[in-house]
This record gives sequence, C-alpha cells and structure tokens, in this order.
Amino acid sequence: MAYSGVLPSARSQAMVAEARHLLMTVAPGAIWIFVFLVLPSFYLMGVAFMTNGTYGLPEMPLSLESFKRLAGFGFLGWSPGNLYTLLRSLWQTVVSTGLVVLIAYPIAYYITTCREKWRPIMLLLVVVPSWTNQVIRTFGWMNLLAPGTPLAELGQLVGLVPENMGLYPSNFAVTLGLVYNFLPFMVLPLYAAFEKLDHAQVQAAQDLYASPVRAFWHAVFPQTLPGLLAGTVLVAIPAFGMYVIPELLGGGKGMMLGNLVANQFSGGSNWPLGAAGAILMLIATFVGLYAMRRIGKRLGGGEEVVI
Amino acid sequence: MTSSLTAPDTPPTSETVDTDRSEARASRKASTIELKGLKKHFGADTIALDGVDLVIEPGEFFTLLGPSGCGKTTLLRILAGLETPDDGRLVLGGKDITDIPPHRRSVNTVFQSYALFPHLSVRENLAFGLRMRGVAEPERDSRVDEIAAFIQLGSLIDRRVDQLSGGQRQRIALARALVCEPEVLLLDEPLSALDAGLRSQLQVELLRVQQRLGMTFVFVTHDQQEAMVMSDRIAVLDGGIIQQVGPPREVYERPANAFVARFMGHDNLYPIKERNGDRLVTDLGALSCPAQAGGDLLLIRPETLDLIPGEQPGDNRLFATVNECLYRGSHAEYRLDVGTTTMQATVRNRGGSLPTVGDRVTVIVSSDDLVSLNA
Amino acid sequence: MRKRTLQRSLTGFWWLTLFFLYVPLLVVVVFSFNAANSAASFTGVSLRWYRRLLGNEQILSAFANSMILAIVSSIVALVIGCLIGYGMYRHRHRKLGWLIALIYLPIVLPDIVFGISEMAFFVQINRLTGVLGPGLLTMIISHVTFQIPFVALIVYSRFVGLDPTLFEAAKDLYATPWQRARFFMLPTIKPALISAFFLSFTLSIDDFVISFFTAGPESATLPIYIWGAIKKGVSPEINAIATLMIGAVAIAAVLSLMFNRQGRR
Repeated sequence: MAYSGVLPSARSQAMVAEARHLLMTVAPGAIWIFVFLVLPSFYLMGVAFMTNGTYGLPEMPLSLESFKRLAGFGFLGWSPGNLYTLLRSLWQTVVSTGLVVLIAYPIAYYITTCREKWRPIMLLLVVVPSWTNQVIRTFGWMNLLAPGTPLAELGQLVGLVPENMGLYPSNFAVTLGLVYNFLPFMVLPLYAAFEKLDHAQVQAAQDLYASPVRAFWHAVFPQTLPGLLAGTVLVAIPAFGMYVIPELLGGGKGMMLGNLVANQFSGGSNWPLGAAGAILMLIATFVGLYAMRRIGKRLGGGEEVVI
Repeated sequence: MTSSLTAPDTPPTSETVDTDRSEARASRKASTIELKGLKKHFGADTIALDGVDLVIEPGEFFTLLGPSGCGKTTLLRILAGLETPDDGRLVLGGKDITDIPPHRRSVNTVFQSYALFPHLSVRENLAFGLRMRGVAEPERDSRVDEIAAFIQLGSLIDRRVDQLSGGQRQRIALARALVCEPEVLLLDEPLSALDAGLRSQLQVELLRVQQRLGMTFVFVTHDQQEAMVMSDRIAVLDGGIIQQVGPPREVYERPANAFVARFMGHDNLYPIKERNGDRLVTDLGALSCPAQAGGDLLLIRPETLDLIPGEQPGDNRLFATVNECLYRGSHAEYRLDVGTTTMQATVRNRGGSLPTVGDRVTVIVSSDDLVSLNA
Repeated sequence: MRKRTLQRSLTGFWWLTLFFLYVPLLVVVVFSFNAANSAASFTGVSLRWYRRLLGNEQILSAFANSMILAIVSSIVALVIGCLIGYGMYRHRHRKLGWLIALIYLPIVLPDIVFGISEMAFFVQINRLTGVLGPGLLTMIISHVTFQIPFVALIVYSRFVGLDPTLFEAAKDLYATPWQRARFFMLPTIKPALISAFFLSFTLSIDDFVISFFTAGPESATLPIYIWGAIKKGVSPEINAIATLMIGAVAIAAVLSLMFNRQGRR
C-alpha cells in the first residue's frame, strides 16, 4: 500500500487513545480475575506436586507423592478406597446424566408443543427451584427421605431400606439429589434445540418412514443433538465435582471426588492430595468443554445453545 | 401528516415571528466548507476516499451521490468528525477543523437510523444537544418549542420515542439537529427507510426547511431522482473519487463520463469508432454532432428522441424496428433495434397513435442533445 | 388417536416433573410452620420456629454477614463488571479471545476447585504477609470474582442490543466523553445494571461452597450456618431460615428478570 508506511500523527494518536481506553475499562476486571482466580488455580496445581507437611500444609520438595496417594498407594500399601470414590463419581455422573436426559427430553419437547405465550412461564417454572440455595434444596430432600416419611416407608415396603431407616444416606439418595439439581440445566438447551426444529423435515420423515420411532430417530433426534450435547456438558462437569449433595445425602459410602478433595482441605487434611484431586476435576472440565466445542462445531450451532 | 405539506406556508402569526428569528440566526451562521485532498482508507486495501477536493458554498443544498461503497458516507462522517481522514484538510468558515472532535464542531447530523435516544422523551431528545452545550433551561425550552412549531411536531413532543412511526422519527431527528443551529447540517440517507409516498412528501418538506433557514445542507443519497429533486449541486462519487460536480441539470444532461451517465440512468451509450469533422460514426451509423470536442462515447438521452412511423430519410435520422414497448401512461418507453445494436427511446403521450412492437420507425435525433464523453 | 394419547401422557409427565421439582421446597416451607418437632408428621400451624430464630444470636449474625457479603460484593462486581462489559462492547472488533476466556473461567470452573484454590491462595498470602486472613474480606473478594462475569455479560449484551449510531449521535450532539457516560450510556443501560445487581445478589446469597472455603470463624453466612446445623441433625428451625431465604431469593430473582426485560423492550 502507498500509505501504509506513513501513519499521520492524528491517526496514531487515536490508536494510542483507543488502546488506553481498552486498558482502562477492561484491566480492573481482568486483573481481578487473574489475581484472584488464575493465580490461585496455578498455585493449587503447584501444590499438587509438593509434599504433604505437618498440619497438612504443602512443603518442598516437589514430588508425585500426592498422585500416588490419589491412586490408592499409602503407608500401608495399596488400598482401593480412593479408586472406589473415583469410580463412584464417574458412575454417579453417568447415571444421573442419563436419567436427567430421560426426564428432560420429553419435558423440553412438551414445552415446545404448548402455546407460545405459556412457554416462557413453563421454562421459568422449571428453573425457579434452582435459584434456591443448594444446601436448602438438598435439605428438602433430607426432610423427604428421612425415616418415618411416606417415601421412606414406601422404600421399606419394597425392601429398598431396612426397617426404621430413612432412604438416606445412600447412593440412591445422591443420584436423586443430582438428578433434581441438574434437571433445569438439561431442559434449557434441549428446549432451545427443539424450538429450532425444522418441522418440514419431520413431516418429510413421517412420510418416508413407516414407524414413528424411525421417523423420530432419523429426523428429530439428530436435530436435537447439539442441545443434548450442551446439556450433557452442563450437567456432567459439575456433577463430577459435586460436593454438597454426596456430603449430605451420601454419607461415608456415598463419597464422591468432590468430598475427597474438600476433606483434604478441612479437618484431617492433606493439601497436595486434595490439589491432585482438583487437577483431575480440572482435566475433566476442560476435556468436556473441548469435546463439546469440537463436536458442536461439527454439528453446527452447539455453542450458541450453551451461551 | 398530509396537512404538513402545505402548512409551512400558512403558519399562525405567533409562529411566523419565531421562524423569522431562526431564519435570521441560521443565515448568519452558514459558512463555506472546503475539502482539500481528503484521503481515507480502511485496512490495507479498502480505499474509501482517494483525494477529494470540494468547496461547498454557504446556504447550499449539496448532495453526495453514488452507489454504496463509493465513499459518500465516509465523506459525510469526516465532515461530522466521526472519522479522521488519513490525509488532507477540512476547513469550515475559514477555520481548519480536521482534528476537532465531533462534540466541538458546529456540525450536526441526521442519521440514517435516526438514532433517537430510547431512554429520553421526544422533548428530551430535542433538547439533548443544547443541554450538552450548557444552554440554560429556559432558553433550551423556548428553542425546543420554536423548532417543534417550525417542524410542526405538535402533540408528538411529549411522546416516548418507541411510540413514533418512521416518518415521525425522521422529522424529530431533523428537528433535533436543527435546534442546535449548526453551521452545516449533514443528512445521511435520511429518507431511505421510508416508503415511496412518505418519502416524496418529506423530500419537499426538507427542501422547504432548508430554503427557509438558508442553512448549508450536505445530503447523502444513492437515489439519483432524489438528488435531482433536492439539490442545488450534486457531486457524483465513485471509487472514492469525485466524478463530477454540478447542478442537477448539468450532471444529468452533460455527464462527465460513462460512470456518471450510467448512474444517472442513461443506457444509450455508443463507442465512437470514427470522427469526420463533426460527424461521429458509431454502431448506430453516422450522426452529426457540432461543437463536441474529444470523448470516445456518444450519449443519446432517450427523451430527446422523436419517433415517426415508417422510413423517412433525412439528416440525423435512423431507421429502427420496435422491439419492446412499455406503456406508462404519460409516456411510453421503447426499445428499438437499430442496425446491429439497440437503443432506448422515451416518447411523450400527446394523444394520437404510438408505434407498437414490430413497427418500422424513423428516429429523429436532435444534434444539440448529443453528448460525447470519456469512457 | 395415538397422537392424542402421547400428548396426554406428556401432560401428565409434565405435572409429575413439576411436583418433583417443587416438593422438596414445599416440604421445607410447610414444615417451617409445623407445631411439632418432626419431619414426618404435621401437627398444627405455629410460628414457634420463626420466633426461635429471632432469639438466636448466631443466626442473626449469619444473616448480617450474608447481607453485607451480598451487597458489598454486588456493588464492587457491578462497577468492575460494567467497565469490562463496556470495554468488550467498545472494542468488540478486536481479537479479545483471551478476555472472553478469562471471563468464562469463573463460570466453568467447578465451584469446589474455585473454593479450594481461593482458600489455599489466601492462606498462603496470609502466612507470608499477615494480610487477607479468612473472613468477610476474603469472601467478598471471592464472590466478586464469580459475579464479575455475569455483570459483564449482561452489560455487554445490553450494549450490543443498542443501535451503534446512538453513540455517534451523542458525540454529534456536543456531548463530551464524560457527558456521554453520564447522560447517554448510564441512563440507557440502567435497567441492565439493576438486573445485574439483583443477579449478583442472588448468586452471592445462593453460594455455599465458595463461601464455605473462604470463610473465617467469625464470618459464617446463613448457608454456612444451615450447613453446620444440618450436620448436627435435622431441626425444624432450619426449615424456618430456609423458608426466609427461599422467599428472599425468589424476590431478588424476579426483580432481576423484570429489569432485564424492561431493558430489552
């Protein structure tokens, strides 16, 4: 370009002013998040590679001790406790996510079949309970599942729980709590996907395929896949790291990774071990987000559903 | 709305005094705008303006005309101060304002989207500029009332912006800019969002406002009809370069080059193959065309042509066959096959017979209306 | 015919799901008025548990802490988040990927990781320098951190919804940069700011995990108090505080929605 070498001073001054403006507006928040979240996260990751000292605080030298402990190797040789916790977290995540999909799918579809003016209100009704504090919601379930309540007695009747016991603490109660907690997270993206459904394509499929099941499978399901995917990430990632629900509804035998991590930072503690567990969660989070981005891009429209 | 067309001529007596006052104030302020070698490019290879020189006289209705991307809007934004030129100077009333930010320029804009503030009422919108300049409230109010009466906003003044129709918004945007009594008023395609009827009505209204106030208006449009109706002078832009500046008749009847001719709606352009004195040879044949120096294209405006039935030889006459006829009531548009090429002709419907498709006709070309121009 | 049965069973399933969603909250609310000290049987309406709340020093101080935390953190987050939201809008044509990533980080990070990172960090800072001991200040800092993104995104989306020439019109009508902020931008995004404030407030009141890990011995909030009380054993008193919190959050959330909608109109 003829002019590209010579920038008139007014222009370069304007560029400097723009850059300063960007800095002035964005810097306070960016620095805040960096100092109070990015740095702490890096510090925590560093802690995972340090040695557990007295009082559970991290000390030098660097070691992989905490990862070994996380895998179950302790002073007394290998024990499967932590591995069970990990597997339980994984299992609970898979089961509760699956159940959430099974409930949310028909609900999201049902909302789109209702009159347009009712839809926002119906969505609101689904979301409102999640505005309440998680501890309170979980406490509500403790009330419902306590010994002597109708649900607990029903459980005794079918032999799910022994005489005079409540339905919690148990793995069942944790699954229930997780499903309850995350249902709205799945309904919203699925609803968005159903609303964008190309009905012409569905009609065509109904003509093409004899059975409604096949029509659904070929025309409806693929179109809702981005929403399903977004919902799965929104449910599975936080479910994997859940702390409150297993702590209140699960008891000792219902412990999940979140509890293992949290316990290392309170009470009889071992920070490096907890930090190693946190790294595992971070990996799960970023793998989940990355997978969603990749698949979302391939399917198209996956990302906008999340935001 | 319909009454507003005629109303400005017969306002109540109390308003007459007000309008006289603002006329006096505005004409005192109108100033010359000089654009000297303005250049502007975006990114590495988008040239918006490539050296624009122009003088806009005080009190002139000046139009920047061109297709989208020709640089007309960039030029207007530079006048407003919303864009800084890469090179060149901008002088307003003898004062260099190139580096003066928009909020310190005595220039106001009517935006294409009107840009009325949604959080303010109509009255607050009108008062915004005066308020920002620190005009005291009593004066602010009286000036807003004055302009509201002048533009005939009537009961709109206390409405909320989202209760207004497109035409109403346009008038308020105009009033909001006028109330500041700028030295120059800039209008960025202010009528393009309106339907045809309202549009021509507001064209007339806008023209009256400008004539009464004697203010300098710089108007941007891509519609050559609109430009011709409104302007004292038109500048036709293309590729960031001014192709021609002149009064509407001159631009329309004597386009400086093929681009201007085509943009003004002319299709009858023929490459000149040969010149023998004042005889020009094109695909149509030879035509005599006195006092035309230079140029390699011949322009024949369709409305200068006459058609007579049959083949009647004579000087500057062409024989043609009617290929297509569009009957428009007041006139008819023809496409004629002449030799190996075609030409357009527009014929007034004076009653009597009009040629129909397939007819053999003689085209009478008036040599005074022939223009030769550069490609 | 088959279509109608499908629709009918879906309607049934919808009401069943709503029941599932609301029954735990209903139980809490209903049993907060229970005369008996039982989670299994309702013996009569009484306000005894609410009266007990008023006499409980710990609950009153937890309530005060929750309010201070929510209000102070929301105000700080509002100022910082509003600036970022505006900066993101004004410079949206630049490549701001790093900023977007930074803003989404507090949203995507599992709250347990968020909480323990803050805790470990603050403890370490406190050991090295003696400042930032666990307490309201550390909680406020952490809450502001997760509130900023929500404020920024609300403000940003409000600006994106505006006609960009409005900014030029303000300049054109003689508004200096400060006047543009004072007379154009702030009044225009006011509904968004109010909405963002109430959302931040709700997020702060709702948070348990991050508060739990950054709190000090003197700075327990209501959710932390409830947590401690639950760990000691279910008591109807908890139902009463929980009911009050459900009410407060519902009101704040509705206000947030109302102002957000008003701003969009």
